[in-house]
Amino acid sequence: MESVPLTWEEVARVYGRKIYNFAYRLTGNSDDAADLVQEVLLRVRKGLAAYQPGSFEGWLWRITRNAFLDEVRKRNRRPTAPLPDEVDRWDMASSPSADVEYSRISIGDDVQKALLELPYEFREAVVLCDIVGLSYEEIARAVAVPVGTVRSRIHRGRKLLRESLT
Amino acid sequence: MSHAGELISAYLDGELARHEIDQLQAHLATCGKCAAEMQEMQSVRSAVRSLPLLELPPGLIPEADAEVVPLRRNKGFLVGAAAAAVALVIAIAAIVTPSTPSVTLEELNSRYGARASLDPAFGPAKVVVPDLGDILE
Repeated sequence: MESVPLTWEEVARVYGRKIYNFAYRLTGNSDDAADLVQEVLLRVRKGLAAYQPGSFEGWLWRITRNAFLDEVRKRNRRPTAPLPDEVDRWDMASSPSADVEYSRISIGDDVQKALLELPYEFREAVVLCDIVGLSYEEIARAVAVPVGTVRSRIHRGRKLLRESLT
Repeated sequence: MSHAGELISAYLDGELARHEIDQLQAHLATCGKCAAEMQEMQSVRSAVRSLPLLELPPGLIPEADAEVVPLRRNKGFLVGAAAAAVALVIAIAAIVTPSTPSVTLEELNSRYGARASLDPAFGPAKVVVPDLGDILE
């Protein structure tokens, strides 16, 4: 049975770094990642009282993903545009900052760059699987798609990564 | 099975049922294309998983920083600082109520000194000076 963190402080301590890495790998931008961590923890703080025991990971990552997409909407001020394109435009807009990060973090430069080139749904699925470490079932709950879709997105994402990296 | 396709990634992630694993392995034994793709996917998966796990920027989560501090400090320093804090509490107690006979220095040391030596979190950053009335009752 999955254990459920009892306090906001515990959630912050246990998951803060994972949330930061999730956001950083999706955007390549440390400032955006930091903003997202704070927004997610704020939402967790508000939502913990009403949390019903179940899949805590699914609940937390659903909040994280929604917060991420809300941030994208805010930044682009185009709430009616398709979300994946919005995210990709945000990434393009933040590319100078991403370049700074690339120079600071030498390990995995090419992999990070290849990740940023993926369509959003594939990038999200790969990051949740390989960076955050969620199971397909947990990703499906977080993203609100069937497990089969998660499986397909991860595999297609990896195939595109392979093409970028070779 | 024509080609293994997404079963390959699911296999690498431990997401296949037993019968699917058997099916995939049987296919890989006869399909060079899928066997090669398996190796490539394994390589890509490893590359992503090898990305460094970045530290949180300092100050982003104060509670998380507070938890990290003791781990980075010298353990001997913590024990010494905690013992000093306990000694301070004891000294204050002795000064404020010098004639109170219901508790001895040994009892205080036993009660709080033991916690200081066993609980690494009982360091200077988290010391809460106990209510003297509680200690001396």
